[in-house]
Amino acid sequence: MVGYKNYENTRLHIKNKIVNVDQYNGHTHERKQLLDILKRTTDSGESNSALLIGPPGVGKTTLVNSILKELQEDKKFNSSAVLVRLHGLIHTDDRLALKAITSRMNLDNAINGKVFGSFAENLSFLLACLQTGQRETSKSVLFILEEFDLFCSHHNQTLLYNLFDVSQSAQTPICVIGITHRLDVIELFEKRVKSRFSHRQIFLFSTHGDDIAIPSINQRIDRISNFLLLTNNNDFSSTYFAQWNKNIKQLMKDKKFICSMQRLLDISENEEITKNIMMLAVSKLNVEKPKISADDIEDELNIFEKDDLVQTVQDLSVLELCLLIAMKHHSEIYDLQPFNFEMILTRYNKFINANSNVQNVQRSVVLKAFEHIQNVELIAPTGTVMSRLQKEYQLFKLLITSQQITEAIKTMNGLPTEVIQWAGSSLA
Amino acid sequence: MDSLVNQLKMNFPGRTYQIERLFSLFGYKNEPFVSSVFIYGPSSTGKSAVVGSLLDGLEIRNACVNLVECYSSKVLFESILNQLSGHKIDPFKGHPYAKCDNVMDFIFNLRKCADEVDLNKSVIVLDKAERLRNMDYNLLPAFLKLKELSGLSVSVIFISEIIFEKYYFKARTLEPIKIHFSQYTREELWEILRLDFDHVQNFIRNNFNENFDINEEFFSNYLNLFLSVFYRVCRDLSELRHMSKLNFVKYCEPVFKKECKLEDSMGLWRHIAPILKASLEVLYLRISPVSQEGKQQSVEIKCDGARTVKQFTFSKESLAQFLELPFYAKYLLIAAYLASYNPPKEDKRLFMKYHGKKTKRMKDVKAKNIVSEQLNTQLGPKPFGFERLVAIFYAILEEKVDFNSNLLVQISTLVELQLLSMVSDNCDLDSRKYKCCVSFEFIQIISKTVDFNITKYLVDFN
Repeated sequence: MVGYKNYENTRLHIKNKIVNVDQYNGHTHERKQLLDILKRTTDSGESNSALLIGPPGVGKTTLVNSILKELQEDKKFNSSAVLVRLHGLIHTDDRLALKAITSRMNLDNAINGKVFGSFAENLSFLLACLQTGQRETSKSVLFILEEFDLFCSHHNQTLLYNLFDVSQSAQTPICVIGITHRLDVIELFEKRVKSRFSHRQIFLFSTHGDDIAIPSINQRIDRISNFLLLTNNNDFSSTYFAQWNKNIKQLMKDKKFICSMQRLLDISENEEITKNIMMLAVSKLNVEKPKISADDIEDELNIFEKDDLVQTVQDLSVLELCLLIAMKHHSEIYDLQPFNFEMILTRYNKFINANSNVQNVQRSVVLKAFEHIQNVELIAPTGTVMSRLQKEYQLFKLLITSQQITEAIKTMNGLPTEVIQWAGSSLA
Repeated sequence: MDSLVNQLKMNFPGRTYQIERLFSLFGYKNEPFVSSVFIYGPSSTGKSAVVGSLLDGLEIRNACVNLVECYSSKVLFESILNQLSGHKIDPFKGHPYAKCDNVMDFIFNLRKCADEVDLNKSVIVLDKAERLRNMDYNLLPAFLKLKELSGLSVSVIFISEIIFEKYYFKARTLEPIKIHFSQYTREELWEILRLDFDHVQNFIRNNFNENFDINEEFFSNYLNLFLSVFYRVCRDLSELRHMSKLNFVKYCEPVFKKECKLEDSMGLWRHIAPILKASLEVLYLRISPVSQEGKQQSVEIKCDGARTVKQFTFSKESLAQFLELPFYAKYLLIAAYLASYNPPKEDKRLFMKYHGKKTKRMKDVKAKNIVSEQLNTQLGPKPFGFERLVAIFYAILEEKVDFNSNLLVQISTLVELQLLSMVSDNCDLDSRKYKCCVSFEFIQIISKTVDFNITKYLVDFN
């Protein structure tokens, strides 16, 4: 029973660690830079703007969260600053963003009585509220804009223009931090917006850690061992605790494990994917399987690497597969020219007639199979779908390479031999 | 806990891997859930059923929304909130839990809802998730990281027939954890269809023969025969179930009539083989087969006093036989077909008696060599003008008829019957353009009825 408890606690412990990452390791230089910028706004009332740029999954939001957490630990923070967080996916236009800002700054009461005719009036009121403040006396406002590039697509970039404008003048101290994964985000600014931006960009790259000398694979493994090692001794029996950690340390040195991590790193540097794989590996723990082995990680990696398109092909019926093979032959012979149902049907019928033991099916059933292939998006109509054109003559293009089809047929079992042979050569 | 997994494995044969994987992610009450899971696989492989019964079995608060129902994002948000908050819609007023027009309202109300009921570790299930691609651009990425955006521990499960690769439109989308529901193999299909035994037995007892007694082996033998014919063409479980039920009644018929014994599997096979073949032809169409056997069967079913099955003949070939067109209309249709599938420059050679000698050039030899895929009959009908239609009509018609309004009416009748379609603008009276919409098989039958050899006048066949 003790073993039962232990493994459940382990799962819980590790999963919590993976899901709630609040500690941020690495990028100390960038972290310090950003913290300085924010501190100067909250403490000495200097306005500023900056962009935090880095590929997805590198930990931009986590970095900002950890900085904000540190700031909020200071008791003075709440009295000296207001934090406004906007997200490009939530606040999809300036009106919504403005609404969110108003409610966050507790200006709802001030607005309550007033009826704003237009967006511009609303904005100017808000700005007036901001502008009446003196640099020394008023609360500073921290704006964190996530998915910053989406704000650039708002109409006239009004919000960005006004925020940057305030940050340039000696009014209420505000600090605008944009978080984005687009390296070219500056190019998205309109000229007037660009000129008001401080051009302070902080880049986060996963390879530019603290120490460039350490290869990224070692950094990655360090982080994983942080996730997997148990740190809290209270919930576990001491022998189990020691054994688990010893096991994990061994795993971290396992050649196979390092190899699969390198493979993953070569595919993508996104840390979310690593987290997902760890999550799945930990989820596999149960009474019968109380340890994580290098094989588990490799299995998960294999599942992750699997080609979904190949799987989709393997889920087709033999008839649908035959049509797909016909399309493959057509694209090979005619150099990727589009095809329509009639052409494929002729090619398929040629194959059927050459093999007397294959049962022929009705045209409408074949058409249905063809439509099913279209539904799972293995083929797509070329150009615009013309309503006047009969569907038999609508031209399609293949969205899957012939290598993928060959691959799928190779690993599919239970296929009739004549189909496999036909897939190999177009000579029916 | 484990009893639930075993129960689910019993209910869903062939889904062991998927159930275990889902359970390992959602089965433990204290643990945090992953932010999003993407489930994909072909239709009727138990995606929604497994997810639904697992979540219900674990008593996880969930909201299942099928995106087919959501014509706007407003409907989607409101139905999620209604389900999560347990809000009952008053039929007289019909107010939702909260009004949401956009993601911001949705997240605001979700947080509000979390204050009232415990939303911790609740799950939102989005069925037919591929439709998210056609809705607002921010919906898919927002749902993928709803946990991060809302600050609540709410996970989202996407269920789709389309693989995740087809969802990328911007780099913003995070890769969720993916679980593939593979198509059932033949053995698994057989096992699942066997579960219908009691149902089928009751169906037969209620409708046909009260004292009919079959054992499970008899049914499994039938399913083996059935799958040997159908598996190659169709792996869709719901369609196979429908077909197997329909055909089982016919399989049992000789036994009803005491022509065969239950044990006489050879005799039963000889009886059922043509019927299965006939019903294979109407797969997915949900109409009864039109073969000769099929007709007799349905008549007999009527005599038995069971459901009366109306016989309709739907297939195009038979339509051509039964379609009664006037003599000239048939010729007009043939002329339209010829006009649609022959290039105009060949008209002279095809339809005129003294078209002069044609010298063979290299170009013509090359043109002869066009491969079957580039034939006119395969590329679809081309539009043709009214004058060309009439000219061809007179060329192929041996007798002389006056050109009068009766003939013109025939053309508009053909358009009305959708055998021809009008390509040009309706208000353009001078140069009307048409297209012929019938298939080659259809026109062959039509031309046979008037003793006309159509292949002689088609460029593709000369």
